[in-house]
Amino acid sequence: MKPAAFEHHAAGSVEEAVSLLAELADEDVKVLAGGQSLVPLLALRLASVGHLVDVNGVAELTSISNGDGLRFGAVVRHRQVERSPEVAAANPLLAAAVRRIGHTAIRNRGTIGGTVAHADPAAEIPAVLALLDGSVEVRGVDGTRSIAAAELFDGYFTTTLEPEELLTSVHVPALPAGTGWSVQQFSRRSGDYGIVTVLATLARDGDGRISAARVAYAGVDAVPLRSSVAETALVGQTASPELWTAVGHDAAAVLEPSSDLNGSAEYRRHLAATLTARALQQASERAGGRA
Amino acid sequence: MRMVGAKVRRVEDRRILTGNGHYVDDLQLPRMVHAAFLRSPIAHGRITHLDVADALALPGVHAVYTGADMQELCKPIRSPLAQGAVPEVFPLVTDTVRFVGDLVAMVVADSRYLAEDAVGMIDVEYDQLPVVIDYETALDPSVPPLFADLESNVIHTATKEAGDVDAAFAEADRVIEVEFSQHRIANVPIETRGLVADYDRGSGELTVHAATQSPQGLRLQLAQTLDQPMDRLRVLTQDVGGAFGLKGNIFREDFCVPIASRQLGRPVKWIEDRNEHLMASGHAREERITAQVAVTEAGDILGLKAALDMDAGAYPGLPFSAVAFTGVISLLMPGPYKIKGYRCDSRVVATNKATYVAYRGPWAMETWTRERLIDMVATELGLDPAEVRRRNLFEGAPEDRLITGPTLAGITTRECLDKALERIDYAGFRKEQEAARAEGRYLGIGMAAFIENAPGPKEMRPGGGFTGGETAKVRLEMDGRLTVITAQSPHGQGHETTLAQLAADEMGVPFDSVRVVHGDTRLTPFNIIGTGGSRAATWGSGATMVATRKLREKVLAIAAGQLEIDPADLQIVDGVVSPKGVPGKDIPLARLAGQMTLMPQTAPPGTDPNLMAEERFTGEETTGSGWSGGVHACIVEVDLGTGGVRINRWVVVEDCGRIINPAIVDGQIRGGVAQGIGQVLYERIPYDAEGTFMAGTFMDYLLPTSAEIPAIEIVHIEAPDDDGVGFRGVGEGGMIVAPATLTNAISDALAPFGAKVTEQYLPPSEVLRLAGVVPAGA
Repeated sequence: MKPAAFEHHAAGSVEEAVSLLAELADEDVKVLAGGQSLVPLLALRLASVGHLVDVNGVAELTSISNGDGLRFGAVVRHRQVERSPEVAAANPLLAAAVRRIGHTAIRNRGTIGGTVAHADPAAEIPAVLALLDGSVEVRGVDGTRSIAAAELFDGYFTTTLEPEELLTSVHVPALPAGTGWSVQQFSRRSGDYGIVTVLATLARDGDGRISAARVAYAGVDAVPLRSSVAETALVGQTASPELWTAVGHDAAAVLEPSSDLNGSAEYRRHLAATLTARALQQASERAGGRA
Repeated sequence: MRMVGAKVRRVEDRRILTGNGHYVDDLQLPRMVHAAFLRSPIAHGRITHLDVADALALPGVHAVYTGADMQELCKPIRSPLAQGAVPEVFPLVTDTVRFVGDLVAMVVADSRYLAEDAVGMIDVEYDQLPVVIDYETALDPSVPPLFADLESNVIHTATKEAGDVDAAFAEADRVIEVEFSQHRIANVPIETRGLVADYDRGSGELTVHAATQSPQGLRLQLAQTLDQPMDRLRVLTQDVGGAFGLKGNIFREDFCVPIASRQLGRPVKWIEDRNEHLMASGHAREERITAQVAVTEAGDILGLKAALDMDAGAYPGLPFSAVAFTGVISLLMPGPYKIKGYRCDSRVVATNKATYVAYRGPWAMETWTRERLIDMVATELGLDPAEVRRRNLFEGAPEDRLITGPTLAGITTRECLDKALERIDYAGFRKEQEAARAEGRYLGIGMAAFIENAPGPKEMRPGGGFTGGETAKVRLEMDGRLTVITAQSPHGQGHETTLAQLAADEMGVPFDSVRVVHGDTRLTPFNIIGTGGSRAATWGSGATMVATRKLREKVLAIAAGQLEIDPADLQIVDGVVSPKGVPGKDIPLARLAGQMTLMPQTAPPGTDPNLMAEERFTGEETTGSGWSGGVHACIVEVDLGTGGVRINRWVVVEDCGRIINPAIVDGQIRGGVAQGIGQVLYERIPYDAEGTFMAGTFMDYLLPTSAEIPAIEIVHIEAPDDDGVGFRGVGEGGMIVAPATLTNAISDALAPFGAKVTEQYLPPSEVLRLAGVVPAGA
């Protein structure tokens, strides 16, 4: 479990990182952020690289700003997000989701940009972006562009970033005031990737009817998924435990998860139904209504 | 103050917790080079092409060895304790690979990084052969044996019969038949395997630093296979980061590394990485039993028939193969219960998987089968599982005997059961369970009992059993401190603490003036097992006690001569010899030892100034039943939405005789329960139908963490204090009985669904399948 030799480049700025990526594009180059996924893959020799462009020392990528939603520099650590009072106030769902990432030691090193660029279909932050229609900003030698979450995730561990592009920031819209939310995850052990993770937000109008609802899944497909079945079925309805159960069932029925050592596709669908109902119940309670 | 029985803080902890332990990987020797292995990616195949030229040409590579080299450099590996059919095996494969991870070649290079680079440059091609992965294929006589020199993949069969089994079944109202299967798991100590071999070309001495449970066992086996003279072969072991039975084995890598050192005249280090460890170090537990139990409607258990199959993997374990454990399983299966007739047929098969190794209570399949079966009998007859146990348990009366032979006089299982049910409030729980079911919540309670011959009654171990007892050495140093040299090789058990407690009490010296030395074959007495098999509490303790008593006699004889009084009138308190009740005549041990060492000619006539004692303990001084045992009970809640199992309570009532150190005993129990919980809910070594190994990292092989383990409530039934060796082994019990306890609780929780728990591995998806919530699948 020792990685094959590679060349390490410590980038001092975004500009330097981007020009290194362009320069080394033909020589198997990868960006190193927190290294919580990439380094084990290299150590197991399941992946090998000629060059690593290390962005951990890029100071301009380490801050959190709050304006039109939250904006995170790519190498903001999960632990920074978890402990930020600004994040807790502007987007408690994100704060709760980030706490589900691994263990403290992993969150101390792992970065928000790294987890998004790695695009593990079971990861929490990509699902938050899908749920809230977040986006990322990427920089190449030709300039900067923004990619919406819906356009970003392109399959297992794959994004629509070009190889020469560097993910520089992650944008997560704020939760509108009065919106209820929930993060439901089931994993076999504390700190593991969820077998299924369900994120939900819910708002009601003055009559107690559901005026807006969002539901997203991680761990059930190659990319994080929004559930149009659930969202359509919820809006206009009155909150009730029967509604949550029915929506959970219908939303899960159209999922096409794969089977693995942690359980069959059928098991995952059951889990998705359960967790969807629980997420909707909790989001509804947090929205101030009774269910 | 008497140290035995006190919660003495472990002397090992300061060293280990402050990072000052010495593990084999801490060793850095001048000119040391590093080994890495090329391992087979397929389960079964013939090597058709093997070219190491490119690897050898890589700068920094010192040598590349193949199976053909090994045939020149060592003898075939033979265990001195071989049982069953044993093939001729070399450290590296000579033509055929037999499991994923099998050893094809070894590279030695300046660094592990380079060695792994070179491994990747070895050119090898295989002709795939059909795989033997399941019992049915292994048992099929038309399938060729994995080893050409064996006749079959069935490497051992045996039958044990006791009582009148036919009569017992004829008398029964019902016979219940169940097929139980226990899955393959792994020991996974925090420290993987590893060794540093250091051959000295000047003296011809080979020194091997190893993470092992048995330095003497390793030395014996290396001498045989490497043809290394034993006066020039030393094995050293310092701190070992856990083993749980695994490191009692001697592995094929253990031969390769010293061979390379001998060839190269340099120290060679190999530290197994976690991927190698999970794949190739060895696996445990894969067994199945078809059991038939004969019962009356009232719940009397009359007879038991069991057909055991054990999957030993490809290569035989060294020095003990899987075969060794079938005997213990068939001996102990009836447990502390009265039955009239019993039969157990055992078969051991070879398959294309990693070697079967011992893991903490390697015979535990017998407890799981029996205790699961009792619950199934209760369900079938509509009786309470606690009542069925009470009805059939022995009292521990003088005439009580396991149907397979040994006396059970003095066992306390019944008392343990009553205390466990009282502590967990069994009656109260049943009411709570009923109320919860009405709300759609599924709670369950499980209980299970075990007994373990650690060391067993005297009649089971004449002359000290198969090792002939155990020897210890004790030396009084010139400064009055005491050195205990033990044949035990601790790897987490805290013997530096417990043996010092015993020696301090026996000698009459302060606890902190005793040093326990282990892990150096030049000093330590021979013991082929080292530490394992829950032996230390009795054998390591007994040897330390008898050797210290002998030394004390020598010291008292000298002091008595000097003071011209009867030795019986002397005492040793806090390291000072004095006549009882007579002040002013003190002889500090430091003065006595200093004088006897520097001026032995001044020893009183008829006394021995050599203040060292070496004594063999053969078990005569043991007191008590000889049986460790106990009852565990736990309460779970199953979430039908997720299949998750929450353990709300876990109660242990155990009897290991007299307790040397309650903190260490409790730690052993908690650790064992944690591993037992892991075995049921989290851990499984998966192979697919082609023999592909599928759990190469801890993302796939799930170990429980502290977050998954509940608080464990422990009640001791302790034997009265006496002068004998009343301490019994406690290391394995927690893990032996925990899987039975937990699976019984989950089964009880799922009783409303008619669930029959016959597979021991119960991940959430399986729990929901048993509840009928999701169909069978992955």
